[in-house]
Amino acid sequence: MREKEQLLRDIGMADFVLIELALFLDTHPHDRRAMEYFNHYNRIKGQMEKEFSQKYFPLNLRLTDCGKEWRWGEAPLPWEGECV
Amino acid sequence: MHELLKDNNIDKFPIAMAYVPWQEFNGMYDDLEKAYCAGTIFPELDKPFTGRRCVS
Amino acid sequence: MWSYEKRLEFPVNIKEPNAKLAQVIISQFGGPDGELSASMRYLSQRYSMPYREVAGLLTDIGTEELAHMEMVSAIVHQLTRNLSMEEIEKSGFATYYVDHTVGVWPTAAAGIPFNACEFQVKGDPITDLTEDLAAEQKARATYENILRLIKEPDVCEPIKFLRAREIVHFQRFGEAMRITQDKLNSRNFYAFNPAFDRCESCDC
Repeated sequence: MREKEQLLRDIGMADFVLIELALFLDTHPHDRRAMEYFNHYNRIKGQMEKEFSQKYFPLNLRLTDCGKEWRWGEAPLPWEGECV
Repeated sequence: MHELLKDNNIDKFPIAMAYVPWQEFNGMYDDLEKAYCAGTIFPELDKPFTGRRCVS
Repeated sequence: MWSYEKRLEFPVNIKEPNAKLAQVIISQFGGPDGELSASMRYLSQRYSMPYREVAGLLTDIGTEELAHMEMVSAIVHQLTRNLSMEEIEKSGFATYYVDHTVGVWPTAAAGIPFNACEFQVKGDPITDLTEDLAAEQKARATYENILRLIKEPDVCEPIKFLRAREIVHFQRFGEAMRITQDKLNSRNFYAFNPAFDRCESCDC
């Protein structure tokens, strides 16, 4: 897998862990271990997202603040499949 | 909170109601790639479809 | 409100178009137990859910269902792009094609259009959560019916992922039920509707 695809997959994986933990924490708000995992993966995902947006394209509007040009529209659309 | 949960004998729960057992946090898959493909990070919720009967 | 992420929850990279499969899988976009129904059900039920933690769960699962709707749509899109006229005619896709070309439109596999009657907002927490538990099981069974029809691993993987999510959501809705039950009187869970009846009616 190319570097860009691998990084995108890693972001997807970290975010998936966050989705799972968020649903768990919704019904178990006082579970400290789950909360620690959530904080850990949230940090990792944030770093990877930032790296991805600097190297390739912003994945969301919060990450478009890196320059004078509007880069949001250049990004491939997720349903296009393997052409990123 | 969780007044009902103190008793974990489901037969003692009030009848005419639906209950799902409470999940406790017992950790998550170490292999995230495996968890991602399985569609869950929780080994105890990983219940794949085999499409065949009589598979344990 | 919502913000958009330009990636799928789980990757969809399908190599070969297959109009026959697309016609079946589209049911999980606009069919009775599809992802559009699921997201609209949970997001609409939130307003009459009196317990904040349960309404929060409905928001988060409803949001995830929007991501699933996008995945199913991506599968249908990738299965129908670059189709030849010959493939359209021989796969039986012509009845869809005549109205939508290869656009993705919410419908059940048998051609019944998406309809809000496929889900319910009763405005009663126990009733709505019981519907949600059933909805997750119906979607799981539908994905299993789809899995029996596919051999291609690039289609199987995202479908297996989506099926697994139904089981996780079922567990969470079950826990939301338990939270709801704890707030009611276990001697008579049905004494009043906590989303509607006021306190004075509780003592009778």
